[in-house]
Amino acid sequence: MKKMFFVDAGTTWSKLVVLNDNKEFYNEYKNYFVKSSDIKSYYILPSKLIKQMNISFDYTTGHMAKLKNKNHNNHYNEIIALANGVKKKIENEKEAIILDLGSRDSKWIRFTNGKFCDLDWNVSCGSSTGATIEMLLKFYDLKSYDIKYQNEKYNFTCGIFAFEKIMDDISHGLTPNDAISRLIHGIAYNSFCFANKPQKIYLSGGFCNFNAYLTSLKKYCEVETLGRFLLCEGLINIQNP
Amino acid sequence: MDKSTIGFCGYPDPYIINKLKVQYPDACWVDLDVELSFVPDYKILPQVYCKIIKNIVNNAVYYKDKLITIIMATGREKCDSAALASVILKNMGFNIIETKYENIETIKKEPIISTSSLPLVEKIQLITKEIIEPIDKTKLNRVNPRFGFWGVPPNDLSILNLFPDDTHVYGWTRCVEMGVPACYETEIMVDENVPTVFYSQAFCAKASLAKYLSFKYNGLYVDIDDIATNSIVAKIEAFINLR
Repeated sequence: MKKMFFVDAGTTWSKLVVLNDNKEFYNEYKNYFVKSSDIKSYYILPSKLIKQMNISFDYTTGHMAKLKNKNHNNHYNEIIALANGVKKKIENEKEAIILDLGSRDSKWIRFTNGKFCDLDWNVSCGSSTGATIEMLLKFYDLKSYDIKYQNEKYNFTCGIFAFEKIMDDISHGLTPNDAISRLIHGIAYNSFCFANKPQKIYLSGGFCNFNAYLTSLKKYCEVETLGRFLLCEGLINIQNP
Repeated sequence: MDKSTIGFCGYPDPYIINKLKVQYPDACWVDLDVELSFVPDYKILPQVYCKIIKNIVNNAVYYKDKLITIIMATGREKCDSAALASVILKNMGFNIIETKYENIETIKKEPIISTSSLPLVEKIQLITKEIIEPIDKTKLNRVNPRFGFWGVPPNDLSILNLFPDDTHVYGWTRCVEMGVPACYETEIMVDENVPTVFYSQAFCAKASLAKYLSFKYNGLYVDIDDIATNSIVAKIEAFINLR
């Protein structure tokens, strides 16, 4: 069986699914191995590593991946990959909003009766997302599990203003954990508003594993997590519809 | 300096255009609405402002020594911003002919280019070219629309390459081809079952129509300032791929 690579290369992390993985690849990248299922092996690697790898990928999405594609015709924009990844999952839903929250952007698509209906992709104002949180956690030497849900939230329209609030509150005695938690609650509320305040959100991306974010978002709507590999699954569905 | 050029913007009154063509048969006509890569920004207008109107003023200043006159549409068929640009250019010493072409009773011409099989960018370039010179449409084939593009000619024409050739043109651009650039009723008419991208140039009043119509017909609303961002390109690509 031919080995195939499907990669979603984001700003900081790349999600990679290898079909018919072999020991050679696994041995080299086992530190980044996440799980395997049937013929699929799942990896999450830093995107800077993806750039250095001596591999051409079969199907790609994400702006960091295009140059590494074997065939540029097999590079898909992230919304197309997302939509193809979720199609089967929501085909019987009357309405479904899928929100993908990335490292520096957020995007949503809406399906009505299993049919693609609407979308939005927010780069500039959605910039206060995953990468911001990662930088803050590193700066304050915290792990994501240190951050617990807070009922209070920061209302902000721009990441710079959010930073100002965090720094201010910490200088007045709030712990960094609590300040970051309020930011995360603010991000959750902003993403709920960005998705047009639906009753339910299907969530994709790294925030699926972040409890403080999920608890915050669940305050506003029902949430079903779809994990970090949805875009890769979309590429696989495109390759083999 | 030999003055050999006539600048125009929008859809000036055809009667005045024809008079000028007789008066200056050898003049070269320049559409001042269009961004020209070699023309600098003279920073006369605010930085955050309609890019098309900025093009008009910058192009006018660039061609100043060659311009016989500028014929400017300043009525309902264009916009208030163009009327104000005209005030500024006149005050700067340009020879301006203002026209208002608001007659909506004219018999509407068939939108042959708008519904043809030409690539979308060629359709739109041909429609604007026809403002000044007649176009032979006899060899154009009509296609059924798979997609629609509603709006004015965008500053960034490259976004039009994202659409398949069986995209019909709607909105102001089609009104231009039909000879009724001020007819709002025609402007808001679309084929309701055709997935359509409703385009607005940033800071243009027509954004209200684009947003409203996109909601009414379940289309995609996009608003672009100067050059389309990756996000906008991806949105249009996704809309076309998924609908």
